[in-house]
Amino acid sequence: MAPISTQLLQSISQELSRIPTDQSDLTGAAAQLNAQADALLRLDELDLLNVEPATVLLPPSEDSHGTR
Amino acid sequence: MGPDDLTRLSITEAADQIRRRSLSPVELTRAYVNHIQRVNGELLAYITVLEEHAMAAASTAEHEITRGAYRGPLHGIPVALKDLVLTRGVRTTCGSRILKDWVPSTDGTVAIRLHEAGAILLGKLNMHEFAYGPTGVNPHYGTARNPWDRARVPGGSSSGSGTAVAAHLCAGALGTDTGGSVRIPAALCGIVGLKPTYGRVSRAGVIPLAWSLDHVGPMTRTVADTALMLQALAGYDPADPSTAEVAVPDYRAALDKGVRGLRVGLPRTLFFERLDPEVRDAVLTAAQLIEDLGASVQEITLPALLHAGAASFAIITAESTAYHEGYLKTRAAEYGPDVRARLATGQFVLATQYLKAQRARRAIRTEVDAALRRVDVFLTPTTPIAAPALDTGELTVDGHTEDVRGWLTRCTRPINVTGHPALSVPCGLTAGGLPIGLQIVGRYFDEATVLCVGHAFEAVNPMRGRRPPEAA
Repeated sequence: MAPISTQLLQSISQELSRIPTDQSDLTGAAAQLNAQADALLRLDELDLLNVEPATVLLPPSEDSHGTR
Repeated sequence: MGPDDLTRLSITEAADQIRRRSLSPVELTRAYVNHIQRVNGELLAYITVLEEHAMAAASTAEHEITRGAYRGPLHGIPVALKDLVLTRGVRTTCGSRILKDWVPSTDGTVAIRLHEAGAILLGKLNMHEFAYGPTGVNPHYGTARNPWDRARVPGGSSSGSGTAVAAHLCAGALGTDTGGSVRIPAALCGIVGLKPTYGRVSRAGVIPLAWSLDHVGPMTRTVADTALMLQALAGYDPADPSTAEVAVPDYRAALDKGVRGLRVGLPRTLFFERLDPEVRDAVLTAAQLIEDLGASVQEITLPALLHAGAASFAIITAESTAYHEGYLKTRAAEYGPDVRARLATGQFVLATQYLKAQRARRAIRTEVDAALRRVDVFLTPTTPIAAPALDTGELTVDGHTEDVRGWLTRCTRPINVTGHPALSVPCGLTAGGLPIGLQIVGRYFDEATVLCVGHAFEAVNPMRGRRPPEAA
């Protein structure tokens, strides 16, 4: 897979997210995204078919096995 | 006891003397203020020191205690807050230039709870800008220095909290932890830091980095002190819908249960690969000492945790950019370069990647929960390395080269993804004299057992009683 280019990111920032982003930040963003790209794809190794997203607002319930 | 010696008291020790009226909160607060005046110019732990406010509050506390209105073990104890906790009438910078003059009109819930417990606010502490980095390097207020070696970072993002507690510039502090920002500075500065269960401590009135990963937690010099602070902080808050209506136990009473019969896990994958051999040895020695105290130690496997780094990346970048979008559009030049570049990245994370990360998070949490039915807690290094030098970019350790941010957060950020409680306690020093942290992870809302293990280990800890040169 071709690495993510700063040109692509520049188009997205200008036309989609509309967050002004200078070249040095685009370079840093491309480096971070390329470094994480494979790891993000590997999330598919988890069996997520029947898994709903973890909620933002509700905390986990108290463990049914309880505290000591 | 001279004034300098007063800052060496733990919260537990000072509280006992204050309760018996053999120690004045005014004397204690004055000792801390004097110490701050002497060394903060070099250590840069505080962004704002509230000398007049603190002395007035100490005087009030003394009057209350004298007339018999003792509130409990934090009454008259000088503490400090990471400068992202809102404080009414006191500027709250979040370590940024953007908020350098912002004075909130309300207090964060945790500030209110410490105030109601009688704690004295000494000031607001330095931090990585907007809490977005694990080193504590700050281009706007200077970088807080590690009291064990001023040429090294204290760790972040709660850098000032780590420095201030370790250098005895406050008795205890609050930090926040989105990928390890309480536990990393605790480990690098040789102090105790707790990331409670997600939902245990209110985030209301705390400037967010990433809503679903942020936790607020205490940082102190002993585990018992952390228990005392958590007691004041924990509990449901209607202002924060993510807090849980789960009963808050007596944490101090749980400390002395001991570890006999406890089942302790050691997850080798991820946590014990590619790390400083001195860190590995110190943590395995700590596990052996805990076993010697009567616990049984067994290896466990947590393969799904290998995905936690990617999940954390997608969640933290997307959520932080969503929060900062307005400033990025209008005041981007006022961010430091490292934080602005990281915030820029979040606009390129796909919604599908974010949701996949949140689904992966649930799968990872399920696996860790299953492991925590077989063991009561598990142990890992807090960080795979000791404190790096101030200007470190990439670092090669154990034959592996990685960005310093990746090194520092590898063992902590998975536990933000799952939301379990995690404590960092000091467990040794490197040959170069730098602290090493042991991470203890437990079941949801079972901070009591995590603290109990930390407290038991503290009694046999090879580095107990060691202080950094700045506080020796």
